[in-house]
Amino acid sequence: MKKFSVLIVSLVLLASLITVSCMAATTDSPDIKAIKDRGVLKIGVKVDVPKFGYRDPKTDKIDGFEVDIAKVIAKKILGNKAKVDFQAVNAKTRGPLLDNGEVDLVIATFTITDERKKSYNFSDPYFTDGVGLLVKKAGKYKSLQDLNGKKIGVAQSSTSRKAVQDEADKLGIKIDFFEYATYPEIKAALDSGRVDCFSVDASILNGYVDRSTMVLSDRFSPQNYGVASKKGNDGLAQLVNDTINDMKNSGQINKLIKKWKIK
Amino acid sequence: MVSPFAWFKWVALFKDWHVFAAGFVTTAVVSLVALGLAMALGIFFGMLGASHGKIPWVITRCYVEFIQNTPLVIQVFFLYNGLPYLGLTLPVIAVGIIGVGVYHGAYIAEVIRSGIQAIPKGQREAALSQGFTYWEALRYIILPQAKKVIFPPLTNQAVYLIRNTSVLAMIAGGDLMYRADSWAGNNLYYGPSYVVTGVLYLLLCLPLSQFARHLERKAEVSA
Repeated sequence: MKKFSVLIVSLVLLASLITVSCMAATTDSPDIKAIKDRGVLKIGVKVDVPKFGYRDPKTDKIDGFEVDIAKVIAKKILGNKAKVDFQAVNAKTRGPLLDNGEVDLVIATFTITDERKKSYNFSDPYFTDGVGLLVKKAGKYKSLQDLNGKKIGVAQSSTSRKAVQDEADKLGIKIDFFEYATYPEIKAALDSGRVDCFSVDASILNGYVDRSTMVLSDRFSPQNYGVASKKGNDGLAQLVNDTINDMKNSGQINKLIKKWKIK
Repeated sequence: MVSPFAWFKWVALFKDWHVFAAGFVTTAVVSLVALGLAMALGIFFGMLGASHGKIPWVITRCYVEFIQNTPLVIQVFFLYNGLPYLGLTLPVIAVGIIGVGVYHGAYIAEVIRSGIQAIPKGQREAALSQGFTYWEALRYIILPQAKKVIFPPLTNQAVYLIRNTSVLAMIAGGDLMYRADSWAGNNLYYGPSYVVTGVLYLLLCLPLSQFARHLERKAEVSA
């Protein structure tokens, strides 16, 4: 009788072991399974933001803080950090590319907002940056206060406009905004005097400082960058969020920030 | 997933309808004034190009070839960011009107020149032999016949012109395309934004092409 019960118990144990291992094999949600079947993770990154996502014209390779995060996620899903297809995105294309499935994830200085959360899944923030102001040294501006009645160039699809507007309202000053599609266009407008100030996230601005311009010390409304994915790919969103949090807890994110000398 | 055309995105758009209305007005005004400029330039240089002097011919070719063989985007970018270095900062709207007007003026000049030259030169010779001056011959004999050749491509130019005012979006011109980009950029509700913008451009271009078709019919170009 005892032998029999041992047999039963071991059978039950064996059965549960099989079920557990089967379950482990099937915990991949369909969206993650699709990526595994494809064997490559498609990620949209910036190619014009030095230190975050930048294509070096000399080597033609895309590199940066966000590119490194992408590789970590690829390693987590596919076991190989090289299995990433990078696609250049800008503020205007990153939404549509997620929607039509051309990219699985966007890691492209993408600020999390409540409005945007209605359309896309965002991970917890991996980086927080403030909006900064780049001005000509010749203008003798010290802070936003001095830009009363002036023109500020911002990027389309960026949150800097609202950030500066809110701050200007607090100070009771008036600012005119002009939106451009790319950062180099804003810089050209600043150089030609079309705008008096170039405003985006400070870490991006640092790539555009030259001899005649400087970044003011003002920083407005912290911008949280998150990894975005399509709504419905919730398994992927969960996995990405776990990965980001693991990276934060283990200090890996801070290491990368140091590696890229951000700030 | 949330569709790019989800209902709440449409609701947001209708709430912000004034953004698109303002863009529509800017685009309409720039189109209208630029069209006037393009017609004036086109008629002037078209007739100049069809005349027989060497110098007018050289002037016309310089204008037409330079404009036709450089992209409009570059011309507008120069007017916007280049001229300030020469001490001339035109308002954005003026940049749009001059940029688009001068650009299409060159094309209209070619339409008019080729229209005039399509009339057999026997017509002009006959008119001159009857005592018409060159300009009288052009006015009473050549142009009435040439307009049948000129009208259809002229209409095309007018419609191209309206659509090309969207280069203003590049230089923060406040036109329809700029407003659509700006609005869709902030909230990423690009689906409704570009559908509505497309419809608004259609509203501008369609009546114009219908009107032109009507003119063509009156001129007995098409049946």
